[in-house]
Amino acid sequence: MIARRIPTILPDLTFEEALEITKLHSIAGCLKSETGLIKTRPFRTPHHTISAISMAGGGRVPKPGEISLAHYGVLYLDELPEFKRETLEVLRGPLEEKQVTISRVWASLTYPCHFMLIASMNPCPCGYYGSGIKECTCTPNAIQRYLAKISGPLLDRIDIQIQVKPVEYQKLGNNEIGEKSKDIRQRVNQARRIQQERYKPYSIMENSELTPRLIQMYCKLDNQGKNLLEKAFTTLGLSARAYTRILKVARTIADLEGKESIEVKHVAEAIQYRNRDK
Amino acid sequence: MLSIVQTISLMGLYGNLVEVQTDISNGLPNFEIVGMPDVSVKEAKERIRTAIKNTNIKLASKKILINLAPADTRKEGSSYDLPMAIGILIAMGVITQTQMQQTIFIGELALDGKINKVTGILPMCIEAKKLGIKIAYIPKQNEKEASIVEGLTIVPVETLQEVMMYLNGEKKIQVQPYTNQLLVQSEIDGNNLDFADVKGQEDVKRALEIAAAGGHNCLLVGIPRDWKNNDSKKNSYHITRSYI
Repeated sequence: MIARRIPTILPDLTFEEALEITKLHSIAGCLKSETGLIKTRPFRTPHHTISAISMAGGGRVPKPGEISLAHYGVLYLDELPEFKRETLEVLRGPLEEKQVTISRVWASLTYPCHFMLIASMNPCPCGYYGSGIKECTCTPNAIQRYLAKISGPLLDRIDIQIQVKPVEYQKLGNNEIGEKSKDIRQRVNQARRIQQERYKPYSIMENSELTPRLIQMYCKLDNQGKNLLEKAFTTLGLSARAYTRILKVARTIADLEGKESIEVKHVAEAIQYRNRDK
Repeated sequence: MLSIVQTISLMGLYGNLVEVQTDISNGLPNFEIVGMPDVSVKEAKERIRTAIKNTNIKLASKKILINLAPADTRKEGSSYDLPMAIGILIAMGVITQTQMQQTIFIGELALDGKINKVTGILPMCIEAKKLGIKIAYIPKQNEKEASIVEGLTIVPVETLQEVMMYLNGEKKIQVQPYTNQLLVQSEIDGNNLDFADVKGQEDVKRALEIAAAGGHNCLLVGIPRDWKNNDSKKNSYHITRSYI
């Protein structure tokens, strides 16, 4: 599956990042004795039966949970609506603050959890809603209930939302080889370097962490871009919260191309990634 | 006689030095640990007693009192076994070296005197260095992890006997050298996963590239279909935990 290949395009770690990841894994006791420093970004795939406590961390003296073990890496949640609502709501604070404080009788501890959330889900219980290849057999009520598992605030924190379309038969059969992960990762690394350089004074590292003030500073649009965004808002009925998400994503797309300013095509692409809140 | 050795306790990512004060005096034979130990630390009593016995040393039938200072913070975990055993051996006069400033001991004892690995060695060593510690005795199984810390002499030990002989100058232990790992190159090999194998799905690949580049969270909504591109189970196992 495509999600399994995500680690192959994640950017390189700095020494400080690697050290922090290793520390957290060491405390959690899941570091093997032959391992020195962990040099790959973690990719955590908890099953959807996971409890809120093992997600956030816990225990009498709190130990790091999945979100902290995914620090500087990816937390991949397959079949998102199948997770307990309680478990998903736990993610809201940590996604914003990049750290989690767990309080128990014995101690109150703070662990960092700067992770990238990647989730996948079906559009409805039967899975074919809006697919165009098979009719959906779900009642509107069932679809509603299914989607209601994911709360607005959580969805709000997900910058990129995309519809995965079925692969056409012709593409399955041909032996054309796509772009190598190595090449993609090179571009990703390049874009990360640009961001690290730009955000040095603000102690953030990525576009996704931009605050409203920084968005104003670094995500300026030209007139063409402004017009397009305005049109998108009125015709697609985008929400206000989608606005900053689009700007941040557009900034990243421009960085991938190594462009200083955000152009209209970057905005256009970013608008496409607001699939769920039309 | 009184002896004092040091160890470190971890509260989340932060460490505090803990002084293990051992006193052996005349009285009814007794072994007591005070200083807010939890169950796992209290159980250490039995491990220490047996480990010392199986190292061919007769534990003095006197009143043994161990205090873990500061006594107002809770202590948990098995990493106090080694410092407490060393404390007793110094207080008994079996270990003759008594100058233990800037030295910490970390390790769990097995009944046969072997020293088992403990969790959290890396943050412990980093914090110890910050607190001015120069030498750390740690379980041999944890040496790789500890060798990342610069400026701290790591003595990896396997048995209680070995520590004793080393401290008495009867045996040499190869000190784990600091391994410079400043150059971190993420290498994801050992599995054959590659985006090149994914047929079609260009838009998804692009979205994931953007997500990785800007650290954006990403939601993929799709139909249930088996377009899994023949990942073997072995591959997916490796990718979830791939270390170098």
